[in-house]
Amino acid sequence: MPASAKRSGVLGFAGFMPVGVSLLLAMIMPLPLGSGVAGYAMPHLVMISCFYWLSSRPLLMPYGACFLLGLLLDLWVGVPLGVNIVSLLLTRLFVLNQLKHYRGKNRGVHWMVFTVMALSLFSLSWLIMSIVEGTLLPLKTVFLQWLVTSFFYAPVAFILGRLRRLML
Amino acid sequence: MQTTGQSTRLRRAGRGRDAFWLYMSLALALLALEIFGPGFPRQLRGYANDVAAPVLATLAGPIRAAQSGMERIAGVSDIYLENQTLRDENGKLRQWREAAQRLIQENEQLRQILKVPQREISPVATAHVIGVGGGAFERSVLINAGSGDGIAANLPVVDELGLVGRTIEVGYWTTRVLLISDLNSRVPVRLERTGEVAIAVGLNEPFMHLRFLAANSNVQVGDRIITSGHGGLFPPDVPVGQITEINNDILKVRPLSALGSLDFVRVMDYRPLPPEVKQPIVEPNSTGRPQ
Repeated sequence: MPASAKRSGVLGFAGFMPVGVSLLLAMIMPLPLGSGVAGYAMPHLVMISCFYWLSSRPLLMPYGACFLLGLLLDLWVGVPLGVNIVSLLLTRLFVLNQLKHYRGKNRGVHWMVFTVMALSLFSLSWLIMSIVEGTLLPLKTVFLQWLVTSFFYAPVAFILGRLRRLML
Repeated sequence: MQTTGQSTRLRRAGRGRDAFWLYMSLALALLALEIFGPGFPRQLRGYANDVAAPVLATLAGPIRAAQSGMERIAGVSDIYLENQTLRDENGKLRQWREAAQRLIQENEQLRQILKVPQREISPVATAHVIGVGGGAFERSVLINAGSGDGIAANLPVVDELGLVGRTIEVGYWTTRVLLISDLNSRVPVRLERTGEVAIAVGLNEPFMHLRFLAANSNVQVGDRIITSGHGGLFPPDVPVGQITEINNDILKVRPLSALGSLDFVRVMDYRPLPPEVKQPIVEPNSTGRPQ
């Protein structure tokens, strides 16, 4: 990407990269990885991707894109429509409101902020699912997915950072 | 100039808030639809899986190849020991095969003598698992066969070891299968040894619980459970699991099917009987008495 284009903010197709990469991660999430725990031990890659891109290039991940990604994820993963949409919309709202507090801080701070946000969002998803199912769902699996997602934030964000430097 | 900049920022923030509430309202409407009218979202999910299927099937190929490669590398060191074990097992299996063939013949002759109808159920389709679904909340898999292959909703799905689940969302090329370990799964079963009936309940965990078993039942660790056929959703005598733990009233069951590493599964052509037509068996005559 030429430096002049970066400065002027004209990105062309590269501007679609955050949404494109998140879409690819949404397709990876339902893949059978040969483990009984794959379903809930699979990190929420789309949440990581959205948080990362919103923290670095918020304009490239608008509400419409968050809605679309959430809808496709709900459809492909097979959970009630709306669960991931609400999570991703709230991710954008959270980042836009809190970015001023952690922008420019080191990666550890970003990781910590993501972990706290993910805990709230997984708790909310659990609540929504419990309402939809009409029963209190077990918390153990949700807690496990939160742990795995939080752990995977660092390596996934590192790869996304390399991509961002290469393309944007 | 500063005032213009501030007003632009305020306008943008206002538009952002509007967009947030617009999309959030749509999301809440979809959730309401899930709660009060699950038919449409289920159908939509079925066809959305058809769109994702080619990509999932393409991505699943290299992943399976890498997994099998790693398993091979890991297994090289144990190959001698494994070979020896397999030889022993092969000898035992030959004896079992002869016994089984003898029993099949005997069984067939007895069926013909007693005029008992056949109980074998043919498969509608054999399919490959191309996706795992549900995240932390549900246990389901996506298979690459759909209504185009003759699959309908609520058909039982098995692998070579036992019951896997039942079909729920059917697209043209793909179908989602609700696993027996899912929280919403209830399978009417009976103990193979004693014939006592119960319900195997999924918990979103690798194991299930056995409920509604008679209080004074003679159940032991290691007992196999099979489908009872009650309810008409699953055919009778399909292996489901094995009792692994008895702790007061809690009976833990380990599913026999390889739910953790499903590859190929069979969808069985077992359809519940159509609802009975309610009409009097004996027509009353003009005096009101049965004929």
